[in-house]
Amino acid sequence: MDKILKMKISNGICGVFLVCLVVAAACVLPGWAQDTAVEIESVSKPPVLVQAEMCESIEQFKPVNPAVVFSISLERVYCFTSFDPVFEETVIFHRWFRKDRLISNGRLVLNPPKWASFSSMQLRPADKGPWRVEIVDSRDNLIKTLRFSISD
Amino acid sequence: MMAQFFGIGWQNVLDIALNTYILFRLYVLFRGTNVLRVLLAMGALLVFRQVAFAMGLIITSWVMQGVIAVAALVIIVVFRNEISSVLKTRDLKSFFWGIPRQQLKTPVGIIVESVYELARKKIGALIVLPLSKGMESVVQEGIPWQGKLSKEMLISIFWPDNPVHDGAVVIQGNRVTDVGVILPLSKRTDLPSRFGTRHRAAVGLAEQTDALIIVVSEERGTITLFRNRQIYDINDSRVLEKLLIQHAGGDTSTGDIKKWTRDLAIAATVCLVCVTGLWISFSRGVETLATHDVPIEFVKSDQNMEVFSSSASSVRLLVSGSRPLIRALGPDRINVKLNLANTTAGETSLSVGRNAVSLPPGISVKSIEPSMIDVFLGVPLKKEIPVQAFWVGRLSPDLIMTQVAITPKRIIVVGPSQVLEDMNTLFTEPISLDGIAESGKITAGIAFAPSTIRPEDQKKSEVQLEYTVRKRDKTGS
Repeated sequence: MDKILKMKISNGICGVFLVCLVVAAACVLPGWAQDTAVEIESVSKPPVLVQAEMCESIEQFKPVNPAVVFSISLERVYCFTSFDPVFEETVIFHRWFRKDRLISNGRLVLNPPKWASFSSMQLRPADKGPWRVEIVDSRDNLIKTLRFSISD
Repeated sequence: MMAQFFGIGWQNVLDIALNTYILFRLYVLFRGTNVLRVLLAMGALLVFRQVAFAMGLIITSWVMQGVIAVAALVIIVVFRNEISSVLKTRDLKSFFWGIPRQQLKTPVGIIVESVYELARKKIGALIVLPLSKGMESVVQEGIPWQGKLSKEMLISIFWPDNPVHDGAVVIQGNRVTDVGVILPLSKRTDLPSRFGTRHRAAVGLAEQTDALIIVVSEERGTITLFRNRQIYDINDSRVLEKLLIQHAGGDTSTGDIKKWTRDLAIAATVCLVCVTGLWISFSRGVETLATHDVPIEFVKSDQNMEVFSSSASSVRLLVSGSRPLIRALGPDRINVKLNLANTTAGETSLSVGRNAVSLPPGISVKSIEPSMIDVFLGVPLKKEIPVQAFWVGRLSPDLIMTQVAITPKRIIVVGPSQVLEDMNTLFTEPISLDGIAESGKITAGIAFAPSTIRPEDQKKSEVQLEYTVRKRDKTGS
């Protein structure tokens, strides 16, 4: 009899515990779901481009002599981009085209909260002519196109 | 249709018909005169020259050519009277269409009555009825009269007290055109002794022209008629009337009409044969070569398709044929058409065969250059493409070009989809940086390359560039 009584009591405790667990879960889960939605929203926001320039060099994380025509004698030309804000670590691409032909596709990592990054191109005598650099985000969306020329 | 069936173009048929008619008209107008004989002789010379040329007899051919040229001048000088009489005495309708019967309207009855009246009264008379030959160079000009013919007038002209009664009267149609005309005297010695000066003058004129001359003897009152080398003593007014009607071309007996019609038909046939022969000799004559640059026409079966480029827009044809045909070959008579029925979009090589060339009959193609044409076919597409400046040269080292604004920034171009899909930038023609010292504006043309693309609006083939330059900082930053 005692055994039967003990089993009934333990069954009642388990039932109460289960009910409490369900109630607790019902209270906690909506909050958790809300947090997840916020996190997904922040991931989908792309970084914001605030500066993009072709320049002769980079000094102290700033573009030097931004221009649209560069002499081949410079031997190297730079594409500087700055993003603010950057919501999370992501990548962008600097796609270099001579005339309409893709020459290089540079992958650059951006880190929050803001980030400046650049790519460069070594110039050869045969590289004279019109160029462009397309700045593209990780989802292949074109953010900006910079056009310039390499001259004598 | 018939002309096409026999391989002769309508131009050739018209050519032959026109020249046949001209030849026939020459025959009709100058029939019975020496002009026609000389023209025939010239024609024979021309044929002879052609034969000599074909046989390679260069000097003979050259001499013949000279003779023909001189003969043409001689004809005009020697036969000026005949030519002028043809040109003067007929109106345009009779010149181009009518069959000349010069004396048709002559009132024969009045002449017969007058002549018999003159004979009865023994009044001497000399009446001339010209036909086709001019008399200006043969007779001494008389006094212009231009009076309507009447019996009374004719008798009064020859009335012994009339100052002009000694000369001849010229009758053309129903008018007395000249009086007191002095005729050339014949030098024949076999003339009857009864013939006086009037008769001798009549014979002299009849020898040199085709005119009909009536003489009334003053002494005996007899009537004599002269035509060519024939002399008719007239004893019956009906004979005189018949001869006059014959001379006037008014003898309308059935037999004569048939003969007349047959003669004309034969003449027309001979003219046609001659001209056709001439055309054949020209068209099948010595072969001549010539080159022609002919633009290519593309014949599309799919109207959506467009030829965006071709390796050549024209072909050079080496054609052969007789010299006259080659000379007459104008650009509008040569066509080169390439059929695009079995071609697909993209680049295709087409053969330019002889069947693509359309030429007039008698001319053939010897060679086609180039024989293959590369064409780019495609469905036309529109795309708005940004324009970029293409700077060349050297910008001054102490200057930096910081900005270029292009207007318009984008241009809508039309081209094959295959090309436009991969095209993202239009470039200007090269713009020189040399000499740029400060900010400014410049207009530049757009280089539409490849040639398969073109601006939708042909006027938008240029852009304006506004560039900004600044002095370079000495620190270098």
